[in-house]
Amino acid sequence: MAVSTIPASRTRGAGISEWFDRTSRHWFIWPAVIMILVFSLFPLIASLILAMSRIRLRAGGFNVRFVGFDNFEKQLFGSEQFHFLGTFSSISTLGWFVTIVIGLLLLYWIYAHLRRGNVWLPGMIGRLITAAMIFGLTLLFAATLLSGEQFGTLGVTLFYVGFGCGIQFVIGLGLAVVCAQPIRGRTFFRVVFFLPLMITPIGIGYAFRMLADTTKGPFSPVWQWFGLGDFAWAADPWAARIFIIIADSWQWIPFIFVILLAALENVPRDSVEAAHVDGASGWLIFREVTWPQIAPVAATVMLIRVIEAFKLVDLPNIMTSGGPGIATESMTLQAFFAWRAPDFGQSAAIAYLLLFVTVVLCVSFFNLVVMKRRAAEAI
Amino acid sequence: MSSIPLEPSGTTGLRRWTEPARIGEMSPLGSILTYTILIFWSLFVLFPLYWIVITSFKLPLDVNAGPVYLPFVDFTPNLHAWRDLLVTGLGETSKPYFNSIIVALFSTVFCVLIGSMAAYALARIEYRPKFATIILFVLSLIAVSVAIGVYGVDWRIAAAIAVALLVLLSRALSNHFQRRVGNGDILFWMISQRILPPVVVIIPIYMMFQQVRLLDTYAALILCYTVVNLPIVVWLMHDFFRSIPIDLEESAALDGASRFFIFFDIVLPLAKVGLAAVTLLVMILSWNEYILALFLTTTNAQTMPILVAGMNAGERGILWWTMCVVILIMILPVVLMALILQRFIARGVLLGAVKG
Amino acid sequence: MKFKCLNMATAVATTAILGMAASNGIVPAYAQQEYEGVEINLLTRPGPVIAGRLEERGKEFTEMTGAVVNVTTVPFADVFQKLLTDWATGTNSIDVGVFASGWAIELQQGGLLANLQEFVDNDPEIALDDIAPYFREFNQKIDGDTYLLTIDGDFQMLYYRTDVLEELGLEPPQTWEEYLEVAEAANGKDMNGDGEADYGSCIFKKRNAQSFYAVMSVAAPYSQTQGTGQGFFFDTEDMTPLVNNEAWKAAFEFYKNSGEFGPPNELNHDIGDTRALMLSGRCALMLDWGDIGPLSIDEENSIVKDLVGASILPGSTQVLDRESGELVDCTAEICPNAIDGINHAPFAAFGGWSGAINANSDPEVIEAAYDFLSYMNEPAQSNVDVTIGWTGYNPYRISQFENTDTWVEAGFSPEFAESYLGAIGDSLNSPNMASDLRIPGTQNYEALVLDRELARYLAGEVDVDQALANIEEGWEEITEDFGREEQLESYKASLGITN
Repeated sequence: MAVSTIPASRTRGAGISEWFDRTSRHWFIWPAVIMILVFSLFPLIASLILAMSRIRLRAGGFNVRFVGFDNFEKQLFGSEQFHFLGTFSSISTLGWFVTIVIGLLLLYWIYAHLRRGNVWLPGMIGRLITAAMIFGLTLLFAATLLSGEQFGTLGVTLFYVGFGCGIQFVIGLGLAVVCAQPIRGRTFFRVVFFLPLMITPIGIGYAFRMLADTTKGPFSPVWQWFGLGDFAWAADPWAARIFIIIADSWQWIPFIFVILLAALENVPRDSVEAAHVDGASGWLIFREVTWPQIAPVAATVMLIRVIEAFKLVDLPNIMTSGGPGIATESMTLQAFFAWRAPDFGQSAAIAYLLLFVTVVLCVSFFNLVVMKRRAAEAI
Repeated sequence: MSSIPLEPSGTTGLRRWTEPARIGEMSPLGSILTYTILIFWSLFVLFPLYWIVITSFKLPLDVNAGPVYLPFVDFTPNLHAWRDLLVTGLGETSKPYFNSIIVALFSTVFCVLIGSMAAYALARIEYRPKFATIILFVLSLIAVSVAIGVYGVDWRIAAAIAVALLVLLSRALSNHFQRRVGNGDILFWMISQRILPPVVVIIPIYMMFQQVRLLDTYAALILCYTVVNLPIVVWLMHDFFRSIPIDLEESAALDGASRFFIFFDIVLPLAKVGLAAVTLLVMILSWNEYILALFLTTTNAQTMPILVAGMNAGERGILWWTMCVVILIMILPVVLMALILQRFIARGVLLGAVKG
Repeated sequence: MKFKCLNMATAVATTAILGMAASNGIVPAYAQQEYEGVEINLLTRPGPVIAGRLEERGKEFTEMTGAVVNVTTVPFADVFQKLLTDWATGTNSIDVGVFASGWAIELQQGGLLANLQEFVDNDPEIALDDIAPYFREFNQKIDGDTYLLTIDGDFQMLYYRTDVLEELGLEPPQTWEEYLEVAEAANGKDMNGDGEADYGSCIFKKRNAQSFYAVMSVAAPYSQTQGTGQGFFFDTEDMTPLVNNEAWKAAFEFYKNSGEFGPPNELNHDIGDTRALMLSGRCALMLDWGDIGPLSIDEENSIVKDLVGASILPGSTQVLDRESGELVDCTAEICPNAIDGINHAPFAAFGGWSGAINANSDPEVIEAAYDFLSYMNEPAQSNVDVTIGWTGYNPYRISQFENTDTWVEAGFSPEFAESYLGAIGDSLNSPNMASDLRIPGTQNYEALVLDRELARYLAGEVDVDQALANIEEGWEEITEDFGREEQLESYKASLGITN
């Protein structure tokens, strides 16, 4: 580490530039690490303290009272349970069916891993945590949504992440592939496709709220024409959620598009041409030549996108304010409302629950998908 | 691109449509499909923008009475919103605009520079920090926060003591605990810093800047945006660096080139495409950031997104027309930047160096 | 009613003048250039509404006194958070906040607000007795001392289309039941001549916006009968929430039912959307603050000039019996403030934009800041400002609605000025004006719990009984959290109840 190499350079007493060069491994990484440490770790710890306290305003500052896990308990088991997890009822047949199927699949997954032998203990623990999380979430969905009850902000967030990011990846990749073709007006299309990302997210929220207005928005005659003049998307939970995903996709597909396009352009052209000459079909070339080369970037892009999607807050806040009821409220929005109340303790507790879910899911994704892609690429 | 004729592909009608006539071109059917997709998506992207543009020329009554679509046909365009913002309100608009440009430019430069160096290091150099050191570091940081937050110790004293203890203990402990973490772990740790929603960390960050008296300055925003976007740069650039063949660097290293030289003169030019994409992305993210800007600034350093949100007049309704003007003038510099970077990418010889 | 109240005001005025004479005849501070070099940093929401006039008057103030007024703005939704952070962490870059008076109690309890009582007592220009009783005694005061100066009076009223009601042969509704009848009758008529069916009622229902103010406006007359001091949120004995009862149930049900005669996407409409609908002639009835009056005469934005009438918020012939939680018919004894057997309780939603001063600013700045706020508040300035639509300032002084001349000058038709000012007068003179909740955690009670359950009820996620039970539980939890005794004290203080 830093400490061990510096004395070596001193004994040799070389010139400054040589010393810089020899210690370059540190110069490259330490600025980034130190900056992130200072700005991220401290607030992280401070907000953990917040999550375990009640904050009150008192003369000369904030009064922090330690309450242990009260804030978390309220979200998971107390009066906010319906809000965070959802309203529970007895699990329906469909719910049981799905739960059991997923449970069996997870068991098989772990069994398959064990059978391969050479089990590394931390890896096994990680897999167990992943499996437990997925099973827990399945059970949550089974007990709420599949049993005809409402799910809370956790479910809504996962819906935005799973469904929204899925669609965005497929369309983003498709557009990148299309734009990488030899087409006319490439620059035009690339700039146009990139435009939505340039607009400030708050602006997008307002723009889509305007577009979706059924009385004064541009599509109101279309609504009328379809006989949907009285259909209120804002009163229908699923319509409102889908609508938020459309706006989110409009904004974020360009992000996936532009990064994947850059990756596609980095793919050496000769290998693609060679495959062409061999008479391979377009799809085969993509699968066997192009995709393996852009897969690491694709995995990274999705990881970043998923993390941002977990934090989705501007769009539901502006477009529906979480309504109808709590149907479009994401976890971050819930934290945001609490924070604005101001109830910093609850807000931080929700954020930490979000952190927990995100970290488990992202670490799983990272270890099981990204690393595998990397390993495959290394071979 | 040379036009190599394909293998004799028969002349059945169907194949003529599905096979490209030449390599590097598309089959007729493929091109129809491609252009359909492109045009459809362009419309999908452009319509909301079109709506923003025409709304900026509408009078409040035109907006509220129901949709009107075509300027001069459906309604008479009116410059009132533009005048409000750019003539009578020029003073209030130009200052945040200027602030935004300064903050976005500097934070992007710092972020891309520091981030891509770290990304390169993680892609090419093996780091194996000791697990024990990291744990120790986190513990001392917790101790410092508690000391400052709960017992009111001066932050300079607390930090000095913590650093001293850290150096002493880490040397002593590191001989006993040998577990190490790898590059992959460092990489994941960096991205994990983006998981917490900003509302939760805003108060601690605010108080940090208050302690060092940097509130309401460019420095605070530039620093913050640099850090916030670092993980994204590190992650994306890491992948781009890895996809560059290592041979060139190895031969340069054999010739005695320093690592700095290799990085700035050999690797960065090769990663131009990725670099341009990431730069643009980071710039946009800093340009549009709202909540940090709201809390870290008061009068001097307010940025444009605050102006946009301000157009929602709360209990007095939303000023759609002026909001649309603000959105539009906010897009301009970014489009300009995108076009500049676009030229920059196109001029570079992308992968020629690898072959040569 | 009105006369009695005015007599009271005169009495107060006399004592105030006597008191003033007894202290000492202080010359208005801003008559001299005594604040040279003083800078007042003021934070509020973006202009031109609210902030615009502060800036203009700030320049005048600088000319008179030398003190510079810097108006900083942040988006409406973030004003309170920004102020709280700045003051509570001791940054103190802001000296004056102009915000909703309801938010002040939290800051005052934190010891962050300067007590203005002494300044007010020694200020000959402020004409305290001219400020409507509700704003003088409740809105500006916390714990019996003045901490805020009003620059905008906010309470809701009912607005109707005079032409539509005339055509239908209906009178403006006096009770909430009548409101629904009128709305039903008017719904589906074409009211702006574009051939499309328009709506009988427009009431904002968007979550996390202003909907909870509207439902409180409806609940107030069912619930509060004995004057402002009675309150209608909590029991003043033990802080039990007065929400899980027939009065609130009636209000919730009315609120949902009114949606049947409103635009289809009303669940996603905030005040701005309903206001826009009203101005483009698409609503027969609506609830709003005072703003729609001046806005409706602006021909650039409105096609309903001179077609709008205003009246005091509808009331109820049945009121809550707090013992049983049931609704009972009004009698002279139960509803001492009723007019024609109808109990009105005009609700001072939001309280209005008011200025408060940072207790930790320099004494000199505090003094200058007070003089500036007082300058905004004085009749000479204020009576002009409230007649201008874009300022966003609504009347809160008796002289502002006594005299229609300034309004007619500003472009009101005499009929509309009379109707509008009459409604304002009826509301402000009502001894049964209902006060918004003004205790620590107000945002928690209203914007977090009440608003959320209301939204869930409107969306059909829970039924009305469940929603009210949830609110009761949520409110109890917040009360426990803040400390029951402390909350009770604050609640009583906010209603002016002293033991």
